Amino acid sequence: MVSKKNYTRLAIVLALVSLGLGMQQVYAHKEPHALDQLAAFEQVFMEQVRVGDLLFHGDGDTQKNLNVNLSRTGMACAMCHPFASDTHPHEFPKFQEQMSQFATLRDMINWCIEKPNEGERIDPDGPAMKALEAYIYWSNRNSKLDPGRH
Amino acid sequence: MNERKLLQLEMDRTLRPEGERPSSTTVMTRRTFLHKSLCYGAAGAATYALLPLINTMDVAFAADGQSFRFAWLSDTHLYPKSLNTRFVDKMVRAVKEIQGMNPPADFLIFGGDLAQLGDPVELKLGAELLGEIKIKKHFIPGEHDWYLDMGKTWSKMFGAPPWTFDHKGVRFIGLDTVSHGPDYWTARKMTPQERMGHMATLDGSVAGPWAGLGSEQLKWLNSTLSSWGKDKPVIIFSHNPLYEYYPQWNFWVRDWREVHEILKPYSNVTNIHGHTHQALYNEIGKLRSIGMLATSWPWPYAPEGVPVLTRPMIRADPGDHFDAVGWSSLAVSGMARVEYEYMMWRKEVFATAPVDSGTEDNRNQILSPRIADRL
Ligand code: HEC
Ligand SMILES: [Fe+2]
Ligand SMILES: [Fe+2]
Repeated sequence: MVSKKNYTRLAIVLALVSLGLGMQQVYAHKEPHALDQLAAFEQVFMEQVRVGDLLFHGDGDTQKNLNVNLSRTGMACAMCHPFASDTHPHEFPKFQEQMSQFATLRDMINWCIEKPNEGERIDPDGPAMKALEAYIYWSNRNSKLDPGRH
Repeated sequence: MNERKLLQLEMDRTLRPEGERPSSTTVMTRRTFLHKSLCYGAAGAATYALLPLINTMDVAFAADGQSFRFAWLSDTHLYPKSLNTRFVDKMVRAVKEIQGMNPPADFLIFGGDLAQLGDPVELKLGAELLGEIKIKKHFIPGEHDWYLDMGKTWSKMFGAPPWTFDHKGVRFIGLDTVSHGPDYWTARKMTPQERMGHMATLDGSVAGPWAGLGSEQLKWLNSTLSSWGKDKPVIIFSHNPLYEYYPQWNFWVRDWREVHEILKPYSNVTNIHGHTHQALYNEIGKLRSIGMLATSWPWPYAPEGVPVLTRPMIRADPGDHFDAVGWSSLAVSGMARVEYEYMMWRKEVFATAPVDSGTEDNRNQILSPRIADRL
């Protein structure tokens, strides 16, 4: 769960982010980073991992919050991909046989939503996709980059 | 070296003395049994081409020459019909084919995970579908059958394991490897549904190392075997494998050391298990273990710990239902005594090239366990 302290950190990060967006120049890297600033970045990332994990494990509330329907068969991604195994984020982009096209991880996430799960494809740049991606990459963070492997 | 690797080494060292292999008096042929005609017959049937369905076994004992066949079905993971009909359809087919076996099998073993969430509706649906099979049926539970009401419905409907019977010179034993999980629910005040939910999450960490026999059942196993000849054939059914493959997914029983201590004097023991939803083969000391397939869905091989004797099945393609339809007849190399064969409903069952293998395609994959359910 997100603690009070972490919420403060989160607020700092969000303030930094909106500052960056509002201005022409980006200031984030001009000053040395403070430790709790880095911790706040980490916090933002791990929160996405957590949301992605929930989606990947079929959590109903998280899907409702993000307005997505990843499955209509009762099956969640994790039932075929425990620990995000066999999702191979380190192999993308690659030619994907199932689609007969050169594909990204996001393409393949949507493919698995539509085919085995019979769910509704999601916005490839939306928050649910980013969270799923965060979880899949995090779970495979020690894998070796191997783009193009079939 | 991590703890798991050390454990595995210990298992190898203590339980696989040099030159020790299972007895050669049992010749076992395994095939997954599917009829081409059925594949093409009913409309829509061919959409289940991907998954292997039933496992049938021919057991021929050289000693007294009595050979016979039995069938195994497990991991059907039924949801209520209104939610998911795929799993129902696949089970219906498997049931039809088992009932259609000619000559008929002597009996059927149902190896657990009949239901997905232990719901009485799911269990009853399963019983209804299995009702089409007229030969004798024996049941052992899976974790998905048990943790909603702690086995109440299951035991009432299918009887309580462990059990044993002798058939044509073989002692058969059915174990319960699921009901002895540590209590993770009382302190956290979980509802039965929450308890079941954690149990049904293969890669969850909350339910912990739940697979095991427990001390009572170990004692029972010991005394059940002691009245049987040391070199006479024994076949043990368990939902989980009786060795350590991948504890994080409970691809093991946590008291495997005690199990092997008990089995050590017996030279002709075969363990047949479900839960792993994949083709598996292992030998430890004189015990051989064979992993059965699910009707519901296949699981990827664990990132480590796959027994070296396993011939991996081919990678599954969840999108091509017509992928590789047909029969396959194979013999496992280097194992003259045990001849086992899949005849699965796809052209190829076992991978011949690394790129097609369910283990070798993960060449550069290193996985980390989840943390979200501990946050
Ligand atoms: C019924 C089982 C099943 C379900 C459910 C499922 N997948 Fe898959 N998925 C597979 C299989 C099998 C593959 C192919 C793996 C291979 O070829 O190595 C695959 C492939 C993938 C790949 C590409 C891996 C590669 O190297 O080509 C990604 C990414 C993926 N799945 C993500 C997901 C996500 C996200 C979900 C949930 C929305 C999901 N899957 C649900 C079975 C499933
Ligand atoms: Fe199962
Ligand atoms: Fe299971």
